[in-house]
Amino acid sequence: MTDVTPGPAIALSQLALTLPSRAGLVDILRGVDLEIAAGTSVGIVGPSGSGKSSLLMVLGGLERATSGHVTVMGEELTGLGEDALARFRMRNMGIVFQSFHLIPTMTALENAAAPLELAGRRDAFDRAAEELDAVGLAHRADHYPAQLSGGEQQRVALARAVAPRPSILLADEPTGNLDAATGREISELLFSLQSRHGATLVVVTHAPALAQACDRVVTMRDGRLDPSAVPAAEAAE
Amino acid sequence: MSRLSRALLPLRFAARELRGGVSGFRIFLACLALGVAAVAAVGSVRMAINEGLIAQGAVILGGDAQVTTTYRRASESERAWMEARADAVSEVVDFRSMAVGGPEDAPPRRVLTQVKAVDDAYPLAGTVTLDPAIALDAALAHQDGLPGAVVERALAARLGLAPGDRYEIGGVPFRISALLVSEPDRASAGFGFGPRSLVSAEALHGTGLVAPGSLFETHYRLKVREEADLVSAEADMDARFPDSGLRWRDRRQAAPGIERFVERIGAFLVLVGLAALAVGGVGIAAAVRSYLEEKTETIAVLKSLGASGRMVGATYLAQIGALAVLGVGFGLALGAGLPLALGPLFADRLPVPALFDVYAAPLAEAGLYGLLTALVFALWPLARAREVRPAALFRDLVERVGRLPASNWVIATGVAGLALAGSATWLSGAPKLALGVIGGVAATLAVLWLSAALLRRMAASLARARWLRGWPVLRLSLAAIGGPGGDTAGAVLSLGLGLTTLAAIAQIDHNLRTTIAQELPDRAPAFFLIDIQNDQRAPILETLQAEPGVGTIQTAPMLRGIVTQLDGVPADEAEIDPEGAWILRGDRGVSYAAEPPAGTELLAGAWWPEDYAGPPLVSFSEEHARELRLDIGDTLTVSVLGREITAEIASLRRVDFSDMGINFLMIFDPGAFAGAPHTHIATVYAGAEAEGPVLASIGAAYPNVTAIGVREAIARVSDGLDQIASAARWAASAVLAVGVVVLIGAAAAGARRRAYEAAILKVIGAERARILGSFALRAALTGGAAGGAALIFSGVGAWAVITFVLEGQFVLEPTIAIAVVLGGALASLFAGLVFALPALGVRPARILRSRA
Repeated sequence: MTDVTPGPAIALSQLALTLPSRAGLVDILRGVDLEIAAGTSVGIVGPSGSGKSSLLMVLGGLERATSGHVTVMGEELTGLGEDALARFRMRNMGIVFQSFHLIPTMTALENAAAPLELAGRRDAFDRAAEELDAVGLAHRADHYPAQLSGGEQQRVALARAVAPRPSILLADEPTGNLDAATGREISELLFSLQSRHGATLVVVTHAPALAQACDRVVTMRDGRLDPSAVPAAEAAE
Repeated sequence: MSRLSRALLPLRFAARELRGGVSGFRIFLACLALGVAAVAAVGSVRMAINEGLIAQGAVILGGDAQVTTTYRRASESERAWMEARADAVSEVVDFRSMAVGGPEDAPPRRVLTQVKAVDDAYPLAGTVTLDPAIALDAALAHQDGLPGAVVERALAARLGLAPGDRYEIGGVPFRISALLVSEPDRASAGFGFGPRSLVSAEALHGTGLVAPGSLFETHYRLKVREEADLVSAEADMDARFPDSGLRWRDRRQAAPGIERFVERIGAFLVLVGLAALAVGGVGIAAAVRSYLEEKTETIAVLKSLGASGRMVGATYLAQIGALAVLGVGFGLALGAGLPLALGPLFADRLPVPALFDVYAAPLAEAGLYGLLTALVFALWPLARAREVRPAALFRDLVERVGRLPASNWVIATGVAGLALAGSATWLSGAPKLALGVIGGVAATLAVLWLSAALLRRMAASLARARWLRGWPVLRLSLAAIGGPGGDTAGAVLSLGLGLTTLAAIAQIDHNLRTTIAQELPDRAPAFFLIDIQNDQRAPILETLQAEPGVGTIQTAPMLRGIVTQLDGVPADEAEIDPEGAWILRGDRGVSYAAEPPAGTELLAGAWWPEDYAGPPLVSFSEEHARELRLDIGDTLTVSVLGREITAEIASLRRVDFSDMGINFLMIFDPGAFAGAPHTHIATVYAGAEAEGPVLASIGAAYPNVTAIGVREAIARVSDGLDQIASAARWAASAVLAVGVVVLIGAAAAGARRRAYEAAILKVIGAERARILGSFALRAALTGGAAGGAALIFSGVGAWAVITFVLEGQFVLEPTIAIAVVLGGALASLFAGLVFALPALGVRPARILRSRA
């Protein structure tokens, strides 16, 4: 475990998200309060449609909350514009998706280097190559996403997420599209990278093993955190 | 499942997929409908004019048939033959002269007029409309001791006269009894130099206006009801009067000049329509590819459920087929409806009464082109789609197969392409042109495809270049162009072909408009004087030389002759180049000279001695001798005023008609025409300020001499060219409309992909300006490749059309081509950004979730 900075890395207060749908407005998040300490890992579990992924998207600034507050690394995200959010992510966040979402026209190395290039880092490609090596994909650096297996694509996504050394790592069902063995490898990689860089990790998952590997587990039901659910760490004690 | 049911399965699947509506096919439908509409509308207008010409043939010609003689009236035997073959005969004498007159308190004005002197039988068909509406014979009868004349409004206005006033034609006085509103045989008369005066032939007797040696034509209109009689009469005339110079024309081709004009412009427009269809075809291919890409998952699912490639191909071919029929239907409705709706508005500006209607033939032709175009451009993406593997479900959507599709689909595309090329060649009525355009389009597409491949390769290697590291916007653009899954080829093809066509048409338009200004030689004469009698030549020269402001004066004796034999072979049997056929068609100007005229450039042979008195010799134009396959030492037989003269070609000269000076194809030695009645022609070079006084002094002293102002002649020519130019502009707007739809289609097709990219880039920290910059840069690079190829090919295409179709001189105008290409590339960039902007505004989560 790395040093813990004073105060929570992430603080959500009365967070609500309402989205329009064909059937009318749908309340996705209904007043979520949550604090996550820096350098810790939190697993978010819950049934499908409970709002887990939406919560992660709001956390990452990829979706704008309807009301409430999202404070990440001391910065209030709800007041930031699109570009300010993008810059904030560039400095502070790495995000991994269930569907990988690599840029199809770029090679593995270029995908991993892209956020560093955007940040203006001169050593973007060297760092990206190191990260690819760390996820065991140095030999596939020049391959396009379509030429990689699902597990390999997710490793590239991991390398891309950690390459800028973010303080926050968000993962949305990172093993959801992978077989059990590959899923295990990816979750091991995720935690090892998190601990290596000392990042705060929030992972949305259906996989019990992945959730239990987290310092803390929160459960969501109908857009709210379920207080009756037992945190993993406490359960372990 | 029965065999029939199995066979119909693709149709059932196709119907299910189409239940969701045709919203994904708007671009496909618009491209096809606009292309088909352009071809159908052009074909319908052409048909309307042709039908008008056929229906009104006798009226346009002024009779069922017309026999024309030049510089003479029909001999007694010829006239007797005509009377015997026809139910009625009418004689019309046509010539140019100077009309002189004006308000009493002002000096007389002089205006060139095209005079038509008619007999009592005129008109045999149709009616003459006058203002005030009086009968023609009453209008031409003597009033207050002067013969009556009706004049076109333009002539009355220029002279400042009104009905009741007096004016002179070539010194003979007439009284204007009415204004000529319309004459039925106007369109058949061809090119006239001035507004019309219509008088009675009787009034010209004894005036000397129509005398041997002066320049006039006599038309004999014949009433012949049976078409078989027309055919036999024409053959009989040729047999009976072989070398008389009589020319036959009948209602079957009443206005060959206009027919040729309509044919040429019609063929050009049909081909522009085809180009529009080809541009649309690229849009069709892009739309089909984009649609099928979205269907990759469905296709993969179908395949994983056991559907064969054949089944998938048939399902989507049925969908595209149904939509193609719909698009063609829209296009035909538009193409048939537009001329019907707009035709009446333009009817007055057409040279013939067009019969606007719904014609099946041009619509069938356009429909056929439309279906074949849809097939040619849709088969390839369909062939690719049927090869989607079920594994696509587990990979990203961008997997592409680099090799060719299955051979039977490649063959089918080829066969459809050949059918399209073949039917266009066969049906357009201009096979060479059609092949040229099809070849041009195919070559352009091939080169564009190659430049797209080159661009991709260069972009891919540049994107990986070490020295570009740290330039993420540029690298993003290059990676998008060079990487897999991009649509570089589609964008370059559609933009490139569209820009090529647009820039080519802009160049053609510009060339047509500037032809006259640029072709007008620096030292063109101010006017021609014709019908100068032998005894008037010297005093006229004296008068002219005394006028201030008059420069060079050239004169030459002028006769008209018909070439009847080439080196002893009858002209109609001689083997010649088609370019030279016009020389043998009618009568040509002929001159004689003892010495080579000033500026003569002999290319072969030698001029005869000044005192030559041997057998006739002739000096011929070198270029035209080549076309007639004649050379030094060959003989040439010319019929002049009914006398045949056979001369040996003694020399070949360079003849260039473009300087508008005196030029003759044939100049004989003076002895060849000894004693033949003839007149002289003169060209006068003078400043604009000298023109008026010269016209006045020549006109006063020599009323029979006709002056033709070059400015006026050029104005008449530019009227004709204006019509071509405006037709080209109409065609350009059709191509433009299709081009815009294709551009919008290309932009829309890529919008989904760009929205996805933008979302990922935002996740990793890219701001909107950077993302937009990357999109703009890639559009600019793609547009640059398309535009570069378009610049080259538009120039080649415009040159080919101007040179071979419109038979003009091509002048490259790079500025206008560059402007069109830049404009098109900017429009494409703008369209791309307009479609990208909404994507930039959407929260990344929404886009990423939809692609999860």
